[in-house]
Amino acid sequence: MKAAQTPHKKEVPCVFGRPPQLPITKIIRLSAALLARHRRCSTPTAALSLPPRVCSLRPESLSCRLSTIYSWHFTGKTKLCSVDAAMATTKPRLSSFSRNLSAVSSSQTPGVKCGPNGTMFVSSGIADLDKILGGGFPLGSLVMVMEDAEAPHHMLLLRNFMSQGLVHGQPLLYASPSKDPRGFLGTLPSPASLKHDKSRDRESEQEKGLRIAWQYKKYMGENQPNFDSHRDNKQDYCNEFDLRKPLERHYFTRQRVNCVGIQDSKNLAALQEHCASFLAQHQRNDGSCALAGRIAIQSLCAPQCEHSNMDWEMLSFIKSLKGMVRSSNAVVVITFPPSLLSLSSTKRWQHMADTLLSVAAIPDEDKELAKLLSGYQDMVGLLNVHKVARLNTQVPLILEATTFSIKLQKRRFLVLECLNQAPVDGSSGSSYGTSGSCSGSSKAGTLDF
Amino acid sequence: MADTICRTLRDGGLEGEHAPALTIKDSKASPFGFDVFNYVLTQLSNYILAGKSQSRGLVVVAYSRSPSFYVDLLKRRGIDIASSHDWIHILDCYTDPLGWKNWLIDKDISQEASSLSSFCQDVRNLDKLYSLIIEQGKGLIGQGKDRFSIAIDSVSEMVRHASISSVAGILSNLRSHDQVSSIFWLLHSDLHEIKFTSVLEYLSSMVASVEPFNQAAFGQRVDLENLSMLEQNFRKGKFHVRFKRRNGRVRVMASNLHQFCLKMK
Repeated sequence: MKAAQTPHKKEVPCVFGRPPQLPITKIIRLSAALLARHRRCSTPTAALSLPPRVCSLRPESLSCRLSTIYSWHFTGKTKLCSVDAAMATTKPRLSSFSRNLSAVSSSQTPGVKCGPNGTMFVSSGIADLDKILGGGFPLGSLVMVMEDAEAPHHMLLLRNFMSQGLVHGQPLLYASPSKDPRGFLGTLPSPASLKHDKSRDRESEQEKGLRIAWQYKKYMGENQPNFDSHRDNKQDYCNEFDLRKPLERHYFTRQRVNCVGIQDSKNLAALQEHCASFLAQHQRNDGSCALAGRIAIQSLCAPQCEHSNMDWEMLSFIKSLKGMVRSSNAVVVITFPPSLLSLSSTKRWQHMADTLLSVAAIPDEDKELAKLLSGYQDMVGLLNVHKVARLNTQVPLILEATTFSIKLQKRRFLVLECLNQAPVDGSSGSSYGTSGSCSGSSKAGTLDF
Repeated sequence: MADTICRTLRDGGLEGEHAPALTIKDSKASPFGFDVFNYVLTQLSNYILAGKSQSRGLVVVAYSRSPSFYVDLLKRRGIDIASSHDWIHILDCYTDPLGWKNWLIDKDISQEASSLSSFCQDVRNLDKLYSLIIEQGKGLIGQGKDRFSIAIDSVSEMVRHASISSVAGILSNLRSHDQVSSIFWLLHSDLHEIKFTSVLEYLSSMVASVEPFNQAAFGQRVDLENLSMLEQNFRKGKFHVRFKRRNGRVRVMASNLHQFCLKMK
């Protein structure tokens, strides 16, 4: 085991777990020693990262033992230990026992990262979403996004997904019910300029001094080291996209971008053929990955398409597509409005997805919501994570939170944040912000030693 | 609040954006949808005539009322069609929607109405209808980059003759046409399955629903106790509007409406 020190003002030592050969007792002893050392140095936090298999084998016993040593917050079943514990979280938006995401990709292919259990990831184009999903979208998986009829947020997800693929030179197949699908490429965002990144870091550094630290979890995420520290846009696994700057045309004239309209065809046979020929070019051979491909299908059951009332045909299409993508180095993202499908069809579609997300609109100028949630004025919508793809493993991913707010920073950059309750009246209050849904109420943390 | 809707239609859509679309939805419990439709039509006509709107012309697709009705309506509201009618055109899908009359006597329609209307004799062919609407609209605005608005009398009538997907297709194509500034239509929600109402709400950027003033009175047996409540329902109603804003948020507004004057209180 090695204790890595991150380049930051307050040292946050991290212990990275090895694969399961290391006995749990050793982990606990080492952790205790590490904590004792850091208590002497008055360092506020320590973080422990363990491989998932360890957690799955003996989660209760391990957490029990560790909780007696550490005064930090365990999510899920464990209780809040003290107010200080609010500062001590590993990755704010994942389980405390989070896998080591800092492993440098051993893959030679740009835009593809190796993950646990023999999976390979491509980025969704949104750094926060990649973190939430444990690295990105796994190659060979089917991602489905449930639209909200009242908000176009699924388009934000699609745009970032498509742009990320084009920036990495990954072939793209885009299907849409509009008359001119190719026109949509003109709305894809461009990676943010380097100048912006540097000035943003400087700004955030300056702002830190002005912040009142009462929602520690929000800020701990920013203290995490940026492992992908090199600045070349093309080499970044996940770029930051400026939604106000269109993607340069050379990305989608030079690359293999195929756009398919689905409004005028009588059924899904043509689309199925396009997908089959696309995926045939990205067959997975012996675990190697020549080039990853991306398929983006927007509003599959849009009402103007003739196939929109053929429930079984659409389901059969999704099933065959899922089968084809499983044996390929590609990711398929399908968006659909569940309000236009029957309840049973919606359930079936949800079951087909490996990763299932949904977007929701929020009411405008809602005073009650503004009182309940902090940062309401910057929010444009909500994102729910219903299911996360878990390939080659039986271990589920338990998320700390499943509802996130979609915000546009400076009206340009898409960020996802945990929901935080707005500050309550200072005299009553706990300084720890709880995460929860819009209608959820906060529970005061109990002190547990 | 109805004025907010009219202003949104007046301002139209930005370059590259789909045109704002309004669904006016009512039911037999509160049958004021057509009054709202007439109000919006009149207001938009005033804006067009005053040159305050993005659109320079208006095409009315009349399914449930004859063109003469609209001419009279606009006259009653003080809009003089006789002097200049190069800003409005009425597509008559009411007189002979299925082409049953092989001959049409011009006397059936008033002379005034006939000069600014044209017949559509096959409402089942929505591709043809789409072309007719675009053709008439371009005829109003000329060759330039101007735009026109579209008012559809009743999509409930439209879907009687065509499938849901083709109705959704024509509405979506009209919204995405470069020269369409705004579009609005009327829907009687209790005539359809929920799916069709959901489809129209999905396609529109504003949904204005007219609901009964006394919700509890509707559906109950008529007796002395709830008679007054029922009577109230036929004079007043509630007006709810949901705006889908550009930033992805939804603005919800509500008010009361009065039948005869359509004053939004």
